[in-house]
Amino acid sequence: MLLLIQYTLIFASVLLLVALGGCVSEHSGVINLGLEGIMVIGALGGALVMKFLPATGFVMFLCVLLAAVAFGVIYSSLLAVACINLKADQTIVGTALNMLGTALATVVVKSMNTALNPDDHSSEIEYIKAKKAFLTNIGKFELNWFMIVAVVLLIVVFVLLYKTKFGLRLRACGEHPQAAASVGINVFTMRWAGVLLSGLLGGIGGITYITAGVSTWKFENGVAGFGFLALAVMIFGAWDPFRIAGAALIFGLFRALGNVYNGFDFLKNLPIPSAVYNMLPYIVCLIVLAFTSKNSRAPKAEGIPYDKGMR
Amino acid sequence: MKEKQSILRNDGFQTFAASIVCILLGLIVGYLALLIINAEGAWDAIVNVMKNFFKYPSAAARMKYFGSTLAKTAPLILCSLSVLFAYKVGLFNIGAAGQYCLGVALALYLALAKGMAWPVCLLAGILAGALSGALCGVLRAYCNVNVVISGIMLNWISLYGTNMLLKPCMDPAGKDTFRLVNKAKQAILPTLGLDKLFSNNQYVTLAIPLAVIMAIIVWIVLDKTKLGFELKATGNNLNAAKYCGMKENRNIILTMFIAGALAAMGGALYFLSDVEQWNVNASAVPGMGFNGIAAAFLGGLNPIGCIFSSYFITHITVGGGNVDLSHYCAQIADFISAVIIYLCGFVLFFKTFLNQRLNKAEERKIERARALANDANKEGGKA
Amino acid sequence: MEKPYAIEMLNITKRFPGIIANDNITLQLRKGEIHALLGENGAGKSTLMSVLFGLYQPEEGVIKKDGEVVKINDPNDANRLGIGMVHQHFKLVECFSVLDNIILGVEPNTAGFLQTKEAREKVVALSEKYGLHVDPDAIIEDITVGMQQRTEILKMLYRDNEILIFDEPTAVLTPQEIEELMQIMKGLAKEGKSILFISHKLNEIMEVADRCTVLRKGKYIGTVDIANTTKEELSRMMVGRDVEFVVHKDPAKPTDVVLDVKNMTVASKAHNNNAVKDVSFQVRRGEIVCIAGIDGNGQTELVYGISGLEPLKSGSLIFNGQDITHMPIRKRSVMGMSHIPEDRHKHGLVLDYSLENNMVLQRYFEPEFTNKAGFLRKDNIRKYAERLIEEYDVRSGQGPITPARAMSGGNQQKAIVAREIDKNPLLLIAVQPTRGLDVGAIENIHRQIVAHRDAGNGVLLVSLELDEVMALSDRILVMYEGEIVAELDPKKTTVEEMGLYMAGAKRQ
Repeated sequence: MLLLIQYTLIFASVLLLVALGGCVSEHSGVINLGLEGIMVIGALGGALVMKFLPATGFVMFLCVLLAAVAFGVIYSSLLAVACINLKADQTIVGTALNMLGTALATVVVKSMNTALNPDDHSSEIEYIKAKKAFLTNIGKFELNWFMIVAVVLLIVVFVLLYKTKFGLRLRACGEHPQAAASVGINVFTMRWAGVLLSGLLGGIGGITYITAGVSTWKFENGVAGFGFLALAVMIFGAWDPFRIAGAALIFGLFRALGNVYNGFDFLKNLPIPSAVYNMLPYIVCLIVLAFTSKNSRAPKAEGIPYDKGMR
Repeated sequence: MKEKQSILRNDGFQTFAASIVCILLGLIVGYLALLIINAEGAWDAIVNVMKNFFKYPSAAARMKYFGSTLAKTAPLILCSLSVLFAYKVGLFNIGAAGQYCLGVALALYLALAKGMAWPVCLLAGILAGALSGALCGVLRAYCNVNVVISGIMLNWISLYGTNMLLKPCMDPAGKDTFRLVNKAKQAILPTLGLDKLFSNNQYVTLAIPLAVIMAIIVWIVLDKTKLGFELKATGNNLNAAKYCGMKENRNIILTMFIAGALAAMGGALYFLSDVEQWNVNASAVPGMGFNGIAAAFLGGLNPIGCIFSSYFITHITVGGGNVDLSHYCAQIADFISAVIIYLCGFVLFFKTFLNQRLNKAEERKIERARALANDANKEGGKA
Repeated sequence: MEKPYAIEMLNITKRFPGIIANDNITLQLRKGEIHALLGENGAGKSTLMSVLFGLYQPEEGVIKKDGEVVKINDPNDANRLGIGMVHQHFKLVECFSVLDNIILGVEPNTAGFLQTKEAREKVVALSEKYGLHVDPDAIIEDITVGMQQRTEILKMLYRDNEILIFDEPTAVLTPQEIEELMQIMKGLAKEGKSILFISHKLNEIMEVADRCTVLRKGKYIGTVDIANTTKEELSRMMVGRDVEFVVHKDPAKPTDVVLDVKNMTVASKAHNNNAVKDVSFQVRRGEIVCIAGIDGNGQTELVYGISGLEPLKSGSLIFNGQDITHMPIRKRSVMGMSHIPEDRHKHGLVLDYSLENNMVLQRYFEPEFTNKAGFLRKDNIRKYAERLIEEYDVRSGQGPITPARAMSGGNQQKAIVAREIDKNPLLLIAVQPTRGLDVGAIENIHRQIVAHRDAGNGVLLVSLELDEVMALSDRILVMYEGEIVAELDPKKTTVEEMGLYMAGAKRQ
């Protein structure tokens, strides 16, 4: 049971972080479908630090965090420049970034592994020791520091969006960019900020995901649709940080079931193949979306490139 | 007004040029990546990627591997048609990958577990994908669910579902399903004698001409028929379609049904050609569906263009296997395709930019003409 | 003594590819005056304002503030010079509060955190001083259009703007609200604010303005003192010829009922209440019935219900003797119902389709355009489109193959009118058919609507323009909050009386 809670919390943290990323980006008016790719690249950044940095404890944690943030932010700028400045189709660019993220990470990790050992053609990075830097055992409960990061960032994002000048301007750009521009707000700048912030959050989400329960990561596999699950969480959470947190917990629970159902005798004894547990979060997601999308209250101008000429 | 327009103004030409630019830039970025990984062999590697089967000295071997590349092109053509068809109707079928899985699942299951003949396997596969696509369409039409997100969810559900269904058909010797040659000859697609043309490459089957025919059918349906007129109108402006009495929800569902059928057909044809076997522990959605997105956009969203872009992408993907694996990895080709899709996002920008330049040039010409005329008038006035 | 100029735009010329949008235009606004800027759509008013706000840089000419040349590169520069504008389409974020909208862009803050207390006090004080009665905490989407407009005014006052520009401010208001706005504008001018009032409504200009500058087709026609001019002179300056204010039409000869609406109720899309409440009326052949009312009182949903875009919650519809309550849109259309939609971009056109394809949007499935195998007969489509283009004078760059997107708004509207009237429908539903068109095109469309009536068909006209309502209709139904509150005879009523019904102050 404790294990279930632990896994639920860690997966919920991942979903929360990434969904907040999507939320900030959409509030600025850009649909970030590239979150999946951003997660992979963020995870790559963190994993590389864990592999090569000979530090421990808090220093290690901080470096991993910063690397994930830096990678995520830099990678998300590819989305920003395409969607904001060049007015490219946000769906195509997001999809391209997802494919590129996995391909790039695979190429990087494989060529790195091959360079270190000519016989090693795998795309895996192992970080079992380094991972200990941010795990704390409280009794039997294994606290991953990224859970705390997620909670802190939840509050930060809420305050940022609803209590600051920046947030007011950001949301105005997502709702009515022409109105924002008419009072002298630079819509491009605000949207860049929104996308880069989503890169930051997505990057942290990525590193959190690959340290949730496993100690090696095969980059060929990407992040298994988690970026999109997070978008579903965001829709379910109606673009509101605290409701997103609630939605993340529910989805996290279903994802965690797939990992730990073996620990529950009554679940184990049910004649359900493991594949069904693997499918569970995705099925739940579809059902939830079917019931919640009808009256979605998305930012009005999301997905529409801002053009100065349009009034 | 019958002035001859510059070829640069031609939309088809612009699309073609944009695709070429995307390919070149993609290759350059790929080359740069290879340079960073290992500068010494980078040029050889990128040449190998581009050469693919041309690296074989004998003509017979070249034909044989050309045939293999074509066999892998056929499913990609269908996946790209699937993406294209949906995109023309304003829907982004990222679920092509999952529909492709379902096509494989039903085709192989009926072939291996039930011993059915290939037409049955093929049709069942197509139907499974079509229904999955239609589900996306229903969710979009009646529940307003974004097709991208539902598509991704269905991709994973389909992947695990396929694994589950095909587990009994697994060859105990490995993790893959049995080869059809060994267990289900009746389900292998006929070669129609095409194999003879490609140095007896048994993978060259009906799939290839069928894919090309489908491309032509898609082109005709979209461009020449009432159905295409309605579907495109629905895609361009859902409200207008509703306003003029088209059944917009039915159109969305029908579109996704057809798109799903196309992608699933790709999967079924490919696996019924026995080129590959399904890994029942697969933990990643097959890249074919995603490459279909690349091929569709690279082909300028034109069904005939898709044939060529699909071939190109398959060509470099197969070629990617030829790189020197002691330094590089085959995924460099995936990387290049991904860069190409990213660049395809800019095609519109490219066109607008080009047209703006052309407009400016024309304006300058007119200005100059006017200035000359003015001067002439003044001169005339003086005289 | 003449007051000094607050802002001057001297000899402004702005060219775009193919056209000169502003050709040597001069506009001088005195301190404390209300100055009208008059011109038809496409006369160059918007371009001139965009130049003033730095959105475009003029090729020639200068702008002076208090007599000194200034350079305006973007809206921020204009803002710093104290220039503010109430846009025709409000620039308000709908899910924000009034206060948030007012402070947006000039947010009072400490270290980035919003501090709204003083701002709220200032807004309340300004609101009282100018009699605006705006609640700073109300959410924009919940308040009336009039309130939203006052929020826009407060936005300018909060920024201490001295030069206030009102772009077509009365288009969305009731006659009573217009009256209030006029008072507010006069009050602002008295306090020393300089007001530029952009309009094409002569009555309002005559009532409120001190002087008026007229533009036509990008050219400066002249500036006149309102005290020394007449409505007729202004209209001549605006259009370049004498304009008939009345549409010539014979008295209606109504015959059979073509549309019978019984107790119709339609739900609204956004909120969960009813937009149309238990409405009943009839339209006969040979008459033009007009639905008048302020925007957003259920007219849109009423038309959606009749045309089939929105299902009825209750009630029934009889069209030409048949019950069409549950009939799909296509069938209604085939039975002889045409609909010129309110929003030509949302409903009327597929913008990425060519003009010819848009012309057959309602008929592409007929045997003339689709053969039995389901293939389009493109040659027939071309011929048909060419005929309509010719007959209805639809102008476009490349004829039938022009993408609809590349056409001017007026010609897009003409194309839709041509398509809908050429179907020769028993009932023509026309929703704001002349929105955004110039006088010539308006006259033309009015004539076609009357001709359609005279041919013995019914017309249901929905319009927000009271002049249009008075000129065209044979019967007027006034809608207020989803109900029909009055049936009036245009010959016996006045605009003022209609206004009372439209504002809900009176009902029959």
